Amino acid sequence: MSKSSFLGADTIALHSGYQPESDHGSRAVPIYQTTSYVFDSVDEASALFNVEQGGHIYSRITNPTVAVLEQRLAALEGGAAAICTASGMSALFVTFFSLCSAGDHIVSAAQIYGSTATLLKHSLKRFNIESTFVDINDQQAVADAIQENTKLVFCESIGNPGLDVSNLPAIAKTAHAQGIPLVVDATFATPYLNNPIDHGADVVVHSVTKWIGGHGAAVGGVVIDGGNFDWLKSGRFPTLTQPYEPFHGMNFWEEFGPAALAMRIRCESMRDIGAAMTPHNAFLLLQGLETLNLRMQQHVSNAKAMVSWLQEHDAVAWVNHPDIDAEAHTKALFPKGAGSMLTFGVKGGREAGAAFINALQLSSNLANVGDSRTLVLHPGSTTHSRLSEADLLSAGISADLIRVSVGIETLKDIQADFNLGLRAAAKVVTNQTESQV
Amino acid sequence: MYIQVDNTNTFIATGGKPFDANLTTVVLLHGSGTDHRTWALQARWFAFHGFSVFAPDFPAHSLSEGEALTSIEAMSAWLIRALDAADVGEVHLIGHSQGFLVALEAAVLLGDRVKSVTALATASAIPVNPALVEMAQNKPSAAAEMMLQWGFGNQHQYGVSAVPGMQPIGIGARIMASNPLAIDLAACNAYIGGSQKAEQLASVNCPSCVILSEQDRMTPKREGLKLAQTLNTKAHVVKGMGHMLPMEAPKESLNIMKSFILSIEK
Repeated sequence: MSKSSFLGADTIALHSGYQPESDHGSRAVPIYQTTSYVFDSVDEASALFNVEQGGHIYSRITNPTVAVLEQRLAALEGGAAAICTASGMSALFVTFFSLCSAGDHIVSAAQIYGSTATLLKHSLKRFNIESTFVDINDQQAVADAIQENTKLVFCESIGNPGLDVSNLPAIAKTAHAQGIPLVVDATFATPYLNNPIDHGADVVVHSVTKWIGGHGAAVGGVVIDGGNFDWLKSGRFPTLTQPYEPFHGMNFWEEFGPAALAMRIRCESMRDIGAAMTPHNAFLLLQGLETLNLRMQQHVSNAKAMVSWLQEHDAVAWVNHPDIDAEAHTKALFPKGAGSMLTFGVKGGREAGAAFINALQLSSNLANVGDSRTLVLHPGSTTHSRLSEADLLSAGISADLIRVSVGIETLKDIQADFNLGLRAAAKVVTNQTESQV
Repeated sequence: MYIQVDNTNTFIATGGKPFDANLTTVVLLHGSGTDHRTWALQARWFAFHGFSVFAPDFPAHSLSEGEALTSIEAMSAWLIRALDAADVGEVHLIGHSQGFLVALEAAVLLGDRVKSVTALATASAIPVNPALVEMAQNKPSAAAEMMLQWGFGNQHQYGVSAVPGMQPIGIGARIMASNPLAIDLAACNAYIGGSQKAEQLASVNCPSCVILSEQDRMTPKREGLKLAQTLNTKAHVVKGMGHMLPMEAPKESLNIMKSFILSIEK
């Protein structure tokens, strides 16, 4: 059972976490643009610092505007608690930092976002946290990769940019059989299309910069503690089940149970690392979240139409979207459609791909996804450029791959724009052919 | 801490500090289908302000092993054995909902060891709709959902939380999923001795405090007011909150609890 609210998802997106405040009755969530909060008394300050009562001390740790976004996202995902962070990457970092220590190990899907791969492969390795990368839908490979010191299995519900859909129930079963939690980056799915906790995930991470915000105006991340994992029974998590000396020997599991991980992140990571979301960004992201469900309908509808349109186009070599020849688990996990990301290759390879992108007028060539506007990118030369050729192939990235985040513009306008690009790409092919002749 | 009660491993939350039997002990008793985590914040305050905290998980609840107890009388007898096992002397008994029924029974048996009793969101009897008891037996997750939907007040139905980032309903759902709700509800339903025990406590002038919730739909405020009358004490009503008072309003409930207990300790 993952109920965090009895309201419908559309209502949660608009209302959860906030009731008009008592001072002025503000209908919109106010921006509490403050670093700190006046204590009623020394006793109250002491109680807040020692987690004897809830409230706010300093905006690096908590902030009322940010808290509304946290509570709303926790409700949407069916979690027990949430912590918002400065970015999606910092959300991932504080999750790994809270579950792993030097000498520990992570099993990760091979097909993941380039910066996450770099974090696991290089940055965490400096702190003696090793990672093994596997085909995440090969459960034998996942099981074989789990070691005595493994602390988590990590995947993206829809991989970036390969768009492979992770078979969450199967992966969760494999991980749980060995007492290990499943951490899922659900950025490409959004809470509208899939709630990983309902399918066995224990921790959900989002870059809320993307579809949740939708406007492309604010960077942020969130960690949602699913609250279902038994950290004590696992026996692998002293950071949650043993006294934490820097906080008066607090035992997060004993004292806070389903919110143990969230409390550890709050008490340690937000204090020591300080990757806090700003209240203004939280406000902007809340504006986006209010219409997430409506926008996602248009995103998915446009993406489906673009997939069909591209598949029919003479200048296109191949098209990839999880709904094409969807596997059974994709259909089960994404009944409303598996997102609005697609990849394709233009005939003519890398040069034609570059011509395609350079000819676009409506769509934006940039390093982001999930904006309401249509975005395109060539990952091999940008987001994933730090990966070796072998790692690129392992991540499902070919040299001609163009990543498209389909926006919510009028469909015919996106198609007209892509026609400009495909004509330019076709011209490259013609030139290539002529020069060969 | 873990202690042995009836040769069974039993978890007692101590509010983040080691238990010291030499201090006056505040006993925090959870309600039906819940456990020590109901009291996470209040327990810490008492533990860090000169008291020892004894917040047990009753048998088969959360971190405690054993078989679930099937009557309020059995729970109160067990509580006394647990207190004795930890060499606990004088106590302030605080109970939420079912936990207060246990406190009532135990208080009469403990006599002079009891310095006070505090009731949160409760009454002297807690009849439970038979349909809910049956649902808890046959479809526990549906019963827990019903409890949560009825248990939390309006603000919390809208995801408002006293602790930033927390989802009280989500946390409540996890807690209820790990506890024997059906047995607890049946025990509450069967208990009829509450009024008599409350009268007995009033007759010996046992200090008491009643804290109620304005929007309590599980143990309606009017029943709590009757309890306060029987105990011959004043009722405090927390506005805008539901039956899950310790989780919904940890600060407000703690402020009343600590004022009351500190007034006795002076």
